[in-house]
Order: sequence, then structure tokens, then C-alpha cells
Amino acid sequence: MSVPNSKPRRAVSADRVDGRAKVTGGAAYGADRSPDRLAHGYMIVSTVANATIRSMDVSAAERAPGVLAVYTPFNPLPLKPSGFLGPVRVPLADKEVVHHGQPIGFVVAETYEQARAAAMLVSADYDERPAAVSLEAGLPGAKEPDSVDGGPAVVTVLADGVGSIDEALRAAEVTLAATYTTAQQQHTPMEPHSAVTAWSGGRLTVHSSSQGAGVLASDLATALEVERGDVRALGPYVGGAFGGKYATYAQTRLAAAAARKLGRPVKTVNTREQVFTATATRAATRQEVTLGARRDGMLTAVRHDAWSGAAIGSATVEAGGHHSSLTWYASPNIQVGAKYVPLNVPEATIMRAPGEAPGSFALECAMDELAGELGIDPLELRIRNHATTDPHSGKPWSSKHLLECYRTGAERFGWSRRAKEPGSTADGDWLTGTGMATAVFPALRFPATMKVRFQADGTAAVSGSTADLGTGMWTVLSVVGSRALGLPAHRIKPALGDSALSDAGFVGGSAGTASVGSAILAAAGEAQKALIKLAVEHERSPFHGLDPDSVRYENGRLTADGGPSEDFDTVLAATGRPGVEAEGSSAPDQSQDYAYASFGAQFCEVRVNRWTSEIRVSRMLAVMDGGTVVNEKTARSQILGGMVWGLSSALHEGLHFDSAGRPANADLAGYLIPVNADTPAVDVHFLDHPDTRFNALGARGLGEIGIVGVAAAVANAVHHATGKRIRDLPITLDQLLD
Amino acid sequence: MKDFDFRAAETTEDALAQAGADTAYLAGGTTLVDLMKLQVMTPRQVIDINALPLRSVRTGDDGLRIGALERMAAVAGHPQVREWYPVISQALLASASQQIRNMASMGGNLLQRTRCGYFRDVSAPCNKREPGSGCAAIDGVHRAHAVLGTSDSCVATHPSDLAVALVALDASVELRSTDGPRTVPLADFYREPGSTPERENELRPGELVTEIVVPALPWAARSTYLKIRDRSSYEFALSSAAVALDLKGDSVAGARIAVGGTGTKPWRLPAVEEALTGRPATRETYEQAAERATEGMRTLPGNRFKPTLVRRTLVRALLSLGD
Repeated sequence: MSVPNSKPRRAVSADRVDGRAKVTGGAAYGADRSPDRLAHGYMIVSTVANATIRSMDVSAAERAPGVLAVYTPFNPLPLKPSGFLGPVRVPLADKEVVHHGQPIGFVVAETYEQARAAAMLVSADYDERPAAVSLEAGLPGAKEPDSVDGGPAVVTVLADGVGSIDEALRAAEVTLAATYTTAQQQHTPMEPHSAVTAWSGGRLTVHSSSQGAGVLASDLATALEVERGDVRALGPYVGGAFGGKYATYAQTRLAAAAARKLGRPVKTVNTREQVFTATATRAATRQEVTLGARRDGMLTAVRHDAWSGAAIGSATVEAGGHHSSLTWYASPNIQVGAKYVPLNVPEATIMRAPGEAPGSFALECAMDELAGELGIDPLELRIRNHATTDPHSGKPWSSKHLLECYRTGAERFGWSRRAKEPGSTADGDWLTGTGMATAVFPALRFPATMKVRFQADGTAAVSGSTADLGTGMWTVLSVVGSRALGLPAHRIKPALGDSALSDAGFVGGSAGTASVGSAILAAAGEAQKALIKLAVEHERSPFHGLDPDSVRYENGRLTADGGPSEDFDTVLAATGRPGVEAEGSSAPDQSQDYAYASFGAQFCEVRVNRWTSEIRVSRMLAVMDGGTVVNEKTARSQILGGMVWGLSSALHEGLHFDSAGRPANADLAGYLIPVNADTPAVDVHFLDHPDTRFNALGARGLGEIGIVGVAAAVANAVHHATGKRIRDLPITLDQLLD
Repeated sequence: MKDFDFRAAETTEDALAQAGADTAYLAGGTTLVDLMKLQVMTPRQVIDINALPLRSVRTGDDGLRIGALERMAAVAGHPQVREWYPVISQALLASASQQIRNMASMGGNLLQRTRCGYFRDVSAPCNKREPGSGCAAIDGVHRAHAVLGTSDSCVATHPSDLAVALVALDASVELRSTDGPRTVPLADFYREPGSTPERENELRPGELVTEIVVPALPWAARSTYLKIRDRSSYEFALSSAAVALDLKGDSVAGARIAVGGTGTKPWRLPAVEEALTGRPATRETYEQAAERATEGMRTLPGNRFKPTLVRRTLVRALLSLGD
């Protein structure tokens, strides 16, 4: 994979501060911890998809070498429901099996191998029922969730005098209706879910990677009925999360409860197969999009309905319409709806760009189809329908440079050289085509508190309970701390991933940098005030007795007007204090008069073999408008990773179940993601227009937008190359063979 | 993983003498260890044979002889293999990943087990893993499954790319047991599943593959291996073709054709070879000959695309060798 360099002028491009530790094995991940007297747990999972467990035979397992305990629904561990995003299924709480690979037991033994071998000796006797696994077949039983993003499941925007979306569609000069499907997916973080749990004097310490150590501690405190303050969760390094480590899944709950019961620390690491079925997934979707437009391409009505497969007992939806058609284009009439179909499949949760990823596939393919129908260039169609205000709320955007994304992208990609006719360009035996799509992701901020501490050794600690999911948060702490304090990066000591630190909330929604960064700025200001206060109040300080307003902090140094000027470590040394610190908080206090989002344009080129129809992506470009780019290097990596995942969703990924609900490819041999040879030259370009209406940093999120629109850009390029419109992801060669 | 007895053999005789009815030989371990962890394979005894003197690549007038313990990577990069048998080198390079090719042995490659997901999932019925338990693939997810040589008991493909190339080249395997050595043509070594899919080949209990023998075929220098799959690397074939062409002037004097990813064993296509021989080396010839490839194919609802894909794979491979 080659990554062309295109550095915008103002951006910082810092190496990851945790990079060396990670690539040299120095970074200790959760499962790397092995406290004394450690026992090992292994989950037993169901081998049917819909059943009541009649009995389980654990006698052989209990007699197996090294086994300490076997827990099942007939001998459960005490656990209460809890969950930051809503309660997850309590493991072993009942005898109902609602999907294949559901945790139904937990073996604890002296070694991992013993626990695993014993788990294989446990047999379950089921009263089995037919499994429901087909989203298509379940459509008649689809249900509406109580709410989507806190709002209604159906949202309608109508122009004055228009009675319904169908009326608006009927009145359109041109309509285009199409149905799109996307596959169920799993996050497949490189680091599987794990937990190392140890109790001491009624207090629990858990080493486990999560999207927020504080959230994990709260989840476990509720589950185990102990005080929040009695649980300490640590996860400074996270080997990928992508939404899959928000919730606290069965392995961590079981390990903590078993450790308490056995009076020994317990470690458990999910197998890859268990990650697929016993954590959570992105739901499969079916989406119907109807676009109404004038002949000049101006949209007059958009209807977008999304159905998601949801695990039994859950109402999680991938709200494709809410997260795309509702806000993307300037149509006077819009209706989006979301429903779910209960299925005997693993739980669904958030996955990178929930709603936007599948939603953008449907909407952006439909826009491409409409462009073809009208004979308008697809990029031009987007420009004509550019929304200068948020079509849903009617508010102006805080800062939107999407048109610049389109134009810069078109120029860098060579869009003007694109052949008008699909199926008309080839390079030898390879048909070639290009496609593009819009990308939008809402800019969110969450409450966060961070701490800044000036230390006697001349360094400043920047800390909070936030997480680095591989996204570069360690480096954000360093870069923003360095900028806020005027100190070189080597004098900033970042710390995160510990629930004992200041409550920085969770990381998700692409809000990490904006939320945490803002809190660091606030904490830096508070810490400077505390430093000045100490300097003027402490009798051995060179600044003693001065008016605090006459002392200013600059680049690690205090200076009084016409008076002394000293580095902060000198001041601390004089006072004999090891450090001075303060917390600072940031809440989503941006003006409610604006709508906030990051924007981008995705471009891609594909090659399709004339004979055998393999699709290979040969070029990708994203142009992103995400406000200030805090650290260009890690921001680029975020976008690159998202784009590669988009390519993966387009051409490779899908968790498939047979009619009995058995997963057919729940491992990394069968569940395909792109290898390097599938990943072409990827170009990322940032516009870098600060959005100071959003926060003082000017930064919006870049975590998720990289995936948005990519699958559509690929599908549109496949259509351009072959003339064939494939509306079902992943697009595989058999769909293109005549 | 179930407990097992482990020992390392120093010599071939030593290995054969120690082997019992429930023994697995360990070479690269890239299949065996994986399947033991899943409890798909549960040998009572594992004998490490890596110290055995079965690592060599020899070329001569009579052809090519490859020791069964030679690593895939070494053979793929061997200069004479690349020059005289490009189909072998290419088939190896299209297999697995570099890391696996560095570990995996040539003999082990020929004995690797199917990638059918139901075979690997011990909670699923599978006649190959547990005779008589049924086949979950026939009514299940079977997009990648076989269309040649299938039975009502099993539709699993043979996963080896190397074996497809070797079958095209009329290769044999040298086998040894305590009863002595024997030679079996590779095409006869593999069995179709029939009603006994658990019996995949002619290897007897305790018998060892010691050497692969490829007869001389000067025109194999014009050969290729084309593998069609869902991603560019590190994935098994949906369809593959091993093709060698003897071109005399503008016409085909001889052809060797085998396909993979489509059969329950590596599938030689004599009808296609016959349809090519003596005909002009043109796209029309190739397309007509490729029609013969689909004779006897039996598709399932999920793999109806395979006959078309096999034809196209063959034409593309043939065109790459000359038209």
C-alpha cells in the first residue's frame, strides 16, 4: 500500500507516543497480565440457534485435570443486568438459547488449555426450535423501535402544502426506487475481547480493553452489586474496538464473578470464533430508497426505509435513512424510517459509522443511479443538491466545505477524464471504472474531564480515563497538552485507560478528540491558574505576595510584570511541592443555532476482469473537511483505516448463517477482510478549515467518516466499469458473471 | 485440544516403527495443529518427522523429485522449478501466505484437509469428520463447494493448489510403510467421497509420503496456474486452472489441464485436453474446449456460477500461454 504524501500547511504530524512500545512488545494489553494464583476461564457456547436447554452434562468436565469450577445456567454465577448502551444479555441467567454461539457455560481451570479441553467435554441437551435467520423472510414481522437516536423511528420533513412523502414522490418529474442490502459484520479487532480480574478486600481490579475504563467499571459495579469506587478498570492499550468494546460482554462479567466466587484471579480470552458470536456484530440491513427529482436533477422528495436484523430481545437498528438521507441533500421533502426484524443471530451493536455506513451505501448508490437515469454527471448531481442548511433541523451548518471536497477531489482524482458511458473503458482484459460518493458524519461532543499536573521534574502530566482504541488518543493528549501548555512534547506525560483517573467518559461517536481535547484545554487553563495561585501564596516562592493578575504563564514559565521570571519546576522546587494540578471539564456547549458535521468526498477506481469478473480496487481518494486536524499522521491513519474497511464492506465482508442459524464463516479464514494485495494506493487529503463554532480547538471528528460512502463509491465504480448495478453487499464475482 | 503422546523421530524407519493406528505425523503443522485445537483431528500420538532426511529438490532427465518435507517456499523459489515447471511454482505462490509457505511441507500440502466450514465446526454434522452424521453443507452455505466428484454424502472441495498442478503433470507420490515403499499416481491417490468421504486418499494407517515425483515434460516450461478467489491473496480458490501447452507453430500439439476449487479432488480434464490437441491455438479453440470442462458438473443453489467460472478460468489461463 503506498500512501502519497500531501501535508496541509498548519497541521502537526506527530509520531504515536505509544508506537514504539506497541511495535516492540512493550505495551502490556489486558490479557498480558498474569497475577499470582491466576486461574483461567473458558466460555462454553451454544451449538444451536433457538432452543431451551433441557440439561447439561458437566460431570466429565468437572473431573478433568485442573478444573476448579464449571458454571452453567443450572449453576450460574450471580450477575445483575447492566450496560452503558442498555443491558446486555446476562450470561447463564436463563436456559434460553437465542443464537448460535451464545455463552451457556464457563469453565475455570488451572491453565487455559485445561479449561478449554474441559469445556469441550460439556454436552448440552436442547429442546430445539426452528431458527429465524432470514431478514427477507422476517419482513412481515418487522417491528418499529421505540426510538432512534432519542427521536422517532419515522421522521418526515415536508414542504408547506405537501400532505405526505408519497404525494411528493408522485408529483416528481422523475423517480428512482431501488432496494439495497448489506451483510452482517463483525468488528474483528486484532485483540480479541479478554479480561483479567482480581479481587482484594472486596475491591475488584480488571484489566480489559474497552472504549472507556470508567464505563467498564460502572458496568461491572452494577453487575456485581458493588460500589463503583470498588471497581478499578484498566485498559491503557486497546487492540482495536470500532464500537465492539463499548459494552461489557459475557467474558468479562463471568471472569469477574468467578474470581469473586473462587477467591482467585481469573483470566479469560475469547477465541476468534467466540468474538464473532459472543460479543456483538453490525446488523444486516435491507434498505429501500426512492428518490424524486426534477429533470435537472434537483431532488424534490427522498424516502429511505431501513430494516435491520436484530438479535432476539434487542431492538438495535442500523438506521441507514436517519443517518444519511435525512440530512445530506437539499430536498424539501424527506422521510426516513427504521424497523427491525428479530432473528436468531448474535447481538448487534454499534460498529464504525453505525447507520452512516450502510445508509450511505444505499443513498449514494441511488444518487448514482439517478444521475445515470438523468444523464447528469454523478458529481454534478451532488453539487446541484448541496445542502447549505441541515434539511432536517433547518439550521445552518457551523462550517461546511463539502463543495470544496468535491472540487478538490475531482481535480486530484482526474474525474473530468471519466468516460460518460458505463462499460466503455478497459485496460487489456480488465474493465475499468470510477465512482464517487459523499461522506457525512455528525460532529458530536460528550462531557469529559481531564487533569493537568505540573510536576517538579519539569514535566506536565495530562491524564484522564479516556481510551486509545488505536486511534491515536495517547498522541492527542501529548499534542494538545503540548500546545495548551507551550511545552515540547517530550515534557508532556500522557496517561489514560484507567478508571481511577479523571472521568473523561468513553470514546466513540468520533467525539474523542473534540471532547477530550477541549477538556485538556480547560484543564491546562485551570492548572496554570493553580500554579500562579501557589506561586503568589507560598512564602518561599519568588512570586510570593504578588497580585495573581500580574503573573502570566507562558511556555512553562511564570513571569511577573517587572518582576521575576522562573520556570515552573523552579517554582515547585522553591515551594517544596511535588506538583500542582487541576481538572478541567468540557461539556457539549456549542451553540444550538448550528448543525455540526464532518464532510468528505470519496473517489475510487476499480478493475474488473473481463473473463472471471474479480473486482480489484486500484485507486482511492478521500478529501475530508473535519475542521482542525490535530495530528495529521494519526488522522490520516484513521481515514485510511476507514477507507480500507469500506472497501472490505464493499467486496469482502459478510458473516453468513445457514438456515439453522449456524455461522458459516465465523473465523478469520472464512470471514474475509482485504489483505495488502487488495489495498491500492490510497490518497487522503484534509482541507483543515477550523470549526471554532464547534469548540475552541476547531476540531470535529475524523474517527468514522473514513468508511462512509466508500462501499457506494466502489459499487458505483463497478457499475461504471461493467454497466452492471449490484445492490447487495459484498459484491462478489459471481454477481457479475453472465 | 485433547491430550496426546508426542515424540520426535530421527529416521524414517524410526517414524514408521513408532506409528500406530491413531498416529498423526507432524511436519509443518499448519493444518494439523490448527485442526487439533478445534478437535477436528484428535490423534492419540503425534510424531514429529521434521528430522527425517526428506528435504531435497532434484531435477534431471527423468524429471523432478521433491522430498516430502521440503518447504513450500523453498520449492516455489527453486530456480529450476520456476524455469521448467512454472505451474508448480505459481500454484505454490498462490497458496496461503509467505509465513505459512515457510513452514508448510510439500507432503503436508497434499494431505491438507478441506476448508468446508462444517468440517471445521465439531458441533455441525459432517460425514467426512463423523461418518454417518450427515452433511450440513448440502442445505447450508456452500458457495465455495465442489461441483465435480460430489456425492450425497459430501460436497467439500480439495483445497490444495499444488495438487492441481501436480495432477496436470502426471505426478506420483512415493509412499513408505513398514511393508515397504510403493508409488501411486497422484490422480489415483485421491478418492472421490462417494459414501465414504472420511477416506480421502489411498494412504494406509502409519504410511508416510516420502517423495513427490514429476515426470519430465519439456513443454511444461509453457505452463501456468491461475487461481480465482474472493481476495487477492491468502484465500482458497473458487476456481483454479493448471495448464501446460505444447505449441507447435500456431497449433496445439499437446495440453495438460487440471482444475481446482471445483472438485472433491484435484480434477484432470482429459476431454478438454483432447479438444485442444491438434487445433489452432486461438481463442475460439480455447472457448470450445473449455465447454467440455463442465461435463458432469453438479451444482447446488449456492454455487450455480461455478461452471461458468471454470470455463472462463480455463480460457483466461489458456490465453495467457499463447494465442
